[in-house]
Amino acid sequence: MSIHLTEEQELIGKNARDFAKEYLDPIAMELNETGKFPADMVKKMAEQDFLGLFLPAEFGGAEAGFVSFVQVIENLSRSCAAVASIIVNHALAAYAIQRWGTPAQKKEYLPGLAAAKSLGGFAVYESGPTPGVGPDALTAIKQAEGWVLNGAKAFVRNAGKADVYVVLACTDPAAGAKALTAFIVSAKTIGLSVGEPAETMGLKGCPVADLVFQNVILPETALLGSLNHGTAIVSETLAVGSLAEAAQTIGIGQAAVEHAAAYSKTRVQFGRPIAALQAIQTLLAETMTDCHLARLGLIYAAQLLDQGEPFQLEAAMVKQFLARLGSKMLVDSVQVEGGFGYSETMPLPRLFRDIAGTTLLDAPADFPEKTIAAALLT
Amino acid sequence: MSILTAEQKQLQQTTKEFVAEHIIPVAAKYDKNGEFHPFLLDAARQSNIFAMAVPKEFGGLDYSALDQAIVLEEWGYGCAGMGTTLAASVLSADSVLVAGTEAQKKMFFEPMLRGEIGSFGLTEPGAGSDAGSGKSTAVKVGDEYVLNGTKCWITNGGYASVYVIYALTDPTKGMKGLSAFIVEKGRPGFTIGTTDHKLGIRSSNTVELLFKDVHIPASNLLGKEGDGMKIAMKTLDMARPAIAALSVGLAQRALDECVKHLQQRYPDPKVPPGQTLQFKLADMHIEVEAARQLLYYAMNLRDAGLPFSVESAVSKTLCADTAMRITTIAVQLMGSYGYTSEISKYMRDAKIMQIYEGTNQIQRLVISRAVLAPAPAAVAAAQKAGK
Repeated sequence: MSIHLTEEQELIGKNARDFAKEYLDPIAMELNETGKFPADMVKKMAEQDFLGLFLPAEFGGAEAGFVSFVQVIENLSRSCAAVASIIVNHALAAYAIQRWGTPAQKKEYLPGLAAAKSLGGFAVYESGPTPGVGPDALTAIKQAEGWVLNGAKAFVRNAGKADVYVVLACTDPAAGAKALTAFIVSAKTIGLSVGEPAETMGLKGCPVADLVFQNVILPETALLGSLNHGTAIVSETLAVGSLAEAAQTIGIGQAAVEHAAAYSKTRVQFGRPIAALQAIQTLLAETMTDCHLARLGLIYAAQLLDQGEPFQLEAAMVKQFLARLGSKMLVDSVQVEGGFGYSETMPLPRLFRDIAGTTLLDAPADFPEKTIAAALLT
Repeated sequence: MSILTAEQKQLQQTTKEFVAEHIIPVAAKYDKNGEFHPFLLDAARQSNIFAMAVPKEFGGLDYSALDQAIVLEEWGYGCAGMGTTLAASVLSADSVLVAGTEAQKKMFFEPMLRGEIGSFGLTEPGAGSDAGSGKSTAVKVGDEYVLNGTKCWITNGGYASVYVIYALTDPTKGMKGLSAFIVEKGRPGFTIGTTDHKLGIRSSNTVELLFKDVHIPASNLLGKEGDGMKIAMKTLDMARPAIAALSVGLAQRALDECVKHLQQRYPDPKVPPGQTLQFKLADMHIEVEAARQLLYYAMNLRDAGLPFSVESAVSKTLCADTAMRITTIAVQLMGSYGYTSEISKYMRDAKIMQIYEGTNQIQRLVISRAVLAPAPAAVAAAQKAGK
């Protein structure tokens, strides 16, 4: 086991940091206010290969692997985690297609996704706790004209802006969650519509909405992987997603602790900068520690993924760790800045809003613990 | 520890109904727009609730400390922003209760009984936790004081009609030169500066107060010159549990909404959420109940006329930290639903509980001094705490 980065990985991270300072720092506050999808920025990031970073070179990707990918996501998130969220959700669709797609599917979708000529979205969740079971579960029924999809997916990120979605649908309502299958759906497909964009606490600019399917007809070639193999596709893809979200959380936490540290040196109370107070130093030291340990766990899991090793357990542990400690990084950093840190004209409230979004647990909320305990007990 | 009387249960019930009718339905809207809800002034006029701390002899509701906590808890349950408006008005009245003469009390409480609200101005840009390092001055000229300076992050500042303002009557003495004054709205030279846009409690009004050669009668001085710090500290001792009460209400709300959500997601009682989630809910319940009982205990001490300064700090710290933790877990457990709904407001609101009316670091300073106090005092403190 090694957690050293290669020179190339370091360089990719540094390049992303420079890019973020130049292009994301200036727009982050405004984006948080307007929540307007930053289309120009997505294009600019595509020019940097950020959207096709781990995709194979034969499809126009940079083939730089997942350690590099999480470097990019962390470094972008230090400036603007919302923009990083767009890439992360795009990457989930791209990952699923490159991992389980047929040669024809890869050829059709990956070059566009790598170049960001098309943006990806990944639709798993439904209004009920288990996909395929609730009242508006998305079903896909095989009929003469093809797969006919009806129902809805909830809280789909990049919804309305993505060109291609990977969606999870139930192919046998009687079997419910045992018959989940992944499909590739173009945004332009007749019968597919996007619900009202949801108001989110943070990560503003990365849209969230429901996808509604009304008699959407898909050809057999839209099926991704094999029939009823959807659960495995989703669980592995979401594990990749956990790594990307961990990178976001770490980026946000790092930015927060650096901002709080800088602030503490300038804020004078009791005749000296508050940085001189041990109580303040402890808040900073704890955040720094949590950030560092999470980063080590993240890089290790990403290395396993790059080496083709099982990585889901390690991804779940990173997720579990940050579910407990991620938001605390912002709770404590804002605390250092007191009333100033609570004002929306300062950066930390934005980071506070964002980190709640990168550490949340979508249903089932206990999956990290289940994954970890299963590894230990079987 | 604390069992509510029939009257207190009745008060709790009436307040719950009031909050359910007037506050809960509009809280999200006023949070979104970051606007003060003028309904609060109507409520103040109609129910006298903003005068709940005002003694009976002045026509107020004369609520005990525990009664006030019961009311604030329910307001915090409905909306911590609107609860903050109420708490801040009570805070200003507390200063006058601590140090006011009969005439001053009459002068300050009369507008409150007409349904107007009060505001407390201590903090300055350079004087937050270090409250004694303010720069505002009050210079005595004949039978008047002339105020100059800027106060910041002042709750209710834009809507209050009576203020308690702290300023230095003797800048050479530092915090020993601090004095407290009653200032009425509309005094020439007294203006409202910029409004703060905050992460949470967005429906509460937070502004700068600007004083430029503001003349007030010498009779508006509370206590004596130089009593300011003492008055402020006593006031905050009384007022901190208000933040604890808002926090308990806020934490309870987050827990209730979390439970409601999980019940909807797991409608079949035979297929409940797993133990990981069940026990998280149990922990949340344990924490909020423990926080509430500690708050009620501090209020019992105050109502019994016993020292409660340390318990006040303990309850504020524990309740605020509990609110932060529980609201965070609630958002997290509800996933995208939590992130795109009013649930996320609770988390934003909770953060200020750890900051205002003395940061939790300042509370820990107070508490650790008590813990580290010389042996005899520690023994006495332990006896007092019933150990």
